[in-house]
Amino acid sequence: MNAIEIRDLEFRYLGSRKPSITVPYFSVSEGESVLITGKSGSGKSTLLQCINGIIPHIMNGTRRGETYIFGESVSKARLPDISRTVGTLLQDPERQVMNYRVEEEIVFAPENFNLDKDTILQRMEDAIQGVAIESLRGRETTKLSGGELQRVALASVMSMDPRILILDEPTSSIDPEGTREIFKFLKNEKGKRTIIIVEHKVERVLPFVDRIVVVDNGRIVLDGPTDRLIEEAHNLIDLGVEIPSHILIANKLGIRASGIDEVRRIARECGMIPHERARSNGGPVAFRAEVSVSYNKNFSLAAELACRAGTIHAIMGRNGAGKSTLLKGIIGFIDKDQAAFSVSMDVEDKKLRNPEMRVAGQYLGFLPQSFDLMLINSTVEKELNYSKKVRKLNGVDELIENLKEIFSLSDYAKSDPLTLSQGQRRRVAMAAMLASGAKIILMDEPTSGQDYMHKQNLGREMAQLKGLGYTFIIVTHDSRFVYEFADWVTVLNFGKVALQGTPESIFSKSEYYGVVPPSEFVLRYENEQLAS
Amino acid sequence: MNSLLVELISWLIFFFGVGAPLYLIFATIGIRGFKEITSYEPYNALLYRINPIVKIALSITVMIVAAITIWWIGAFLTIAILASYLDLKNGKRKLVIGMLFVISTVVGTAWGYAPFVTSSILSIAFSGYHPVVIWTWPSYFSIMGYQPQLTLQAVEYGLQISFRTSSIMMSALLLVMTNTPSQILRTLHKISVPDSVIFSLMVGMKSIPMVFTYLDESIKIQMMRGLGSRHSRFLKPFYMLIGGIHAIVPTIIHLLRGAKDIAISADTRGFRATKKRSYVEDVRFTRADYYAVVIIVAILGIAGVAILLGFGRTIPYVT
Repeated sequence: MNAIEIRDLEFRYLGSRKPSITVPYFSVSEGESVLITGKSGSGKSTLLQCINGIIPHIMNGTRRGETYIFGESVSKARLPDISRTVGTLLQDPERQVMNYRVEEEIVFAPENFNLDKDTILQRMEDAIQGVAIESLRGRETTKLSGGELQRVALASVMSMDPRILILDEPTSSIDPEGTREIFKFLKNEKGKRTIIIVEHKVERVLPFVDRIVVVDNGRIVLDGPTDRLIEEAHNLIDLGVEIPSHILIANKLGIRASGIDEVRRIARECGMIPHERARSNGGPVAFRAEVSVSYNKNFSLAAELACRAGTIHAIMGRNGAGKSTLLKGIIGFIDKDQAAFSVSMDVEDKKLRNPEMRVAGQYLGFLPQSFDLMLINSTVEKELNYSKKVRKLNGVDELIENLKEIFSLSDYAKSDPLTLSQGQRRRVAMAAMLASGAKIILMDEPTSGQDYMHKQNLGREMAQLKGLGYTFIIVTHDSRFVYEFADWVTVLNFGKVALQGTPESIFSKSEYYGVVPPSEFVLRYENEQLAS
Repeated sequence: MNSLLVELISWLIFFFGVGAPLYLIFATIGIRGFKEITSYEPYNALLYRINPIVKIALSITVMIVAAITIWWIGAFLTIAILASYLDLKNGKRKLVIGMLFVISTVVGTAWGYAPFVTSSILSIAFSGYHPVVIWTWPSYFSIMGYQPQLTLQAVEYGLQISFRTSSIMMSALLLVMTNTPSQILRTLHKISVPDSVIFSLMVGMKSIPMVFTYLDESIKIQMMRGLGSRHSRFLKPFYMLIGGIHAIVPTIIHLLRGAKDIAISADTRGFRATKKRSYVEDVRFTRADYYAVVIIVAILGIAGVAILLGFGRTIPYVT
């Protein structure tokens, strides 16, 4: 029996001329696991919303055609009734989780379904064990890391015992270990229920799904078994799909193997080894910081960081290792009444100790994860000129014009930044930060939730800018991005620097600290080097 | 008096009325302080053991009593509720933040009324009204709706009205600081409050601390980008205010994007699936609740006695 069936579906949002999704026919059998991928804005989320009933019950627009869940029409059923069958994990756990304690969050749905107390408690236990969050019992959801919160959100969906499970980028804010836990869970669930998973990390999901669906420009452009990924690898890159390096090599070799070890063996036999990545040694040390943060007994961080001019410096580590705290410590964003902290830094031949933000801002720029909060002006032009205006900077007009070119913003100069697409907004925020005159740029999870195309664009922009003397310090979990673009890596563990070095030297021993090497690294280097 | 001096003092008074509450809010309470008094923190104390139903009843009682009795009963209730903040986690700090908030509210509300209240209202409010003029505004202040003169009674009137709102705010914050959103949800369901109202409250309880977090982050980024960098540190509260105003639009847009997800999160997890909702934790009444009920009855009793003694008042009959 088909768990999901879509017939002649077309949906366009209010005010949009073009349909966001057009699906003549699509079905998923009961117990099947399907990966849906494609670039941001391709229509993946709209497709999910047509399945879980958000469209037409919450989202307004023009719709024709129908979605059926186990033969029942989605548009005719009430949304709360659909939720008895379809469980949905949203992309951003901070927005999904509503309750204060972990247990309250997990029982939220069973309580809504008016189940008896014993059943609710049993469901809660099953969900906690299924998602392996025993250690989070009794914790406050407001104090969990992104990865922990994501797993709590997943447990809250599992407590509904849904026949269809929809996971919208379930690992977007999780470290590799958390990601592994989620995929371990998926492996256990495979076949027990119908699973639809939207994910950019194709490499990690592939072993757990039966089928891959690629959406582009509102249409399904590929739908088939996972082997099709090898056949279509190069076409899919153009569609913004992140193809694992070993699949690309398998494609070049014309082999059907999809396991990394097998591809690696054959590639080596054929002499096809990925080339060594060029790293920039940079100029003299442009920035040095010593940060110490202490949140009572709960967490403390003591780390030293040194970055050479014109390099990209990645900070990696598990969720809760202190990566974001380190960034916030450097820029002085930590509340003094919440934590004891001190920072001393050497930048542009100046020594600063606990500088005020407005002083630190002369040398440092910060791009937060929620970059929309930066966009306070009514046009892109004004946004780029903001620092010039408030700092009365001279001689930055040429820089601003260059930034407009680099970030392709000239055509949007008169547009309101908040009305632009996510990728454009990110570029405006980044350009505005660079226009402040700061040369040391700190970025918190710039690749989180971004598709492959956007990540590649970001990496290329950063590479171009480091040639102009900018130094980047980025917090990320994305090993592949780091391997492709970073020059230096610092791995944090429990608030201390555990490893520092080039990506090649780090990835050979970083797994112990929760940093998984990317497949390109695994393909290139010898087993002995990996083991060391 | 020298007309220039009159101008100067008039504008100083004007800016005091506008600026003092804002100064208290931005320079002394701060965004962090607001977040603290609008968020739940777990703690083992009497106030945390009181059932949310009883706290809601207390808030309603305070609202009614403050609305129908003389101003100083409202003032007394404000002080009493503020004193109870000492029982909260970090009680002293919350008491200080609460007091600053009350002062800001009182100054803001009083100044929002005093210059505008007409003598006809004051003559209703004060029996045997003999205006005591404390300041005469320049004539062009009438463009802003100001009365020609500021009287002592007008200031008194504004102050008295402010105490009708301050006690209600303090008791509502008490509920938010001592109960989780799910405890409140459970309670409201029990007393058959409509789901749409409950949902709005839940979104509010989830969003309010986030508003302060986003505002805080946006203001800090503006500071890094140079806001106020060319001026004295003493002007920082002023620039924080400017930064706060600039941060409103991105914060609201960010929140609205989030609010849609909260609605989806609730609806895709069976919210409103059935008319009845079951609970793992029962709504129980403990000894603490009986103490609280006694206090509610006492407040109602005091209000009754006050009314019998001739201290019952509603706006505009405040004194």
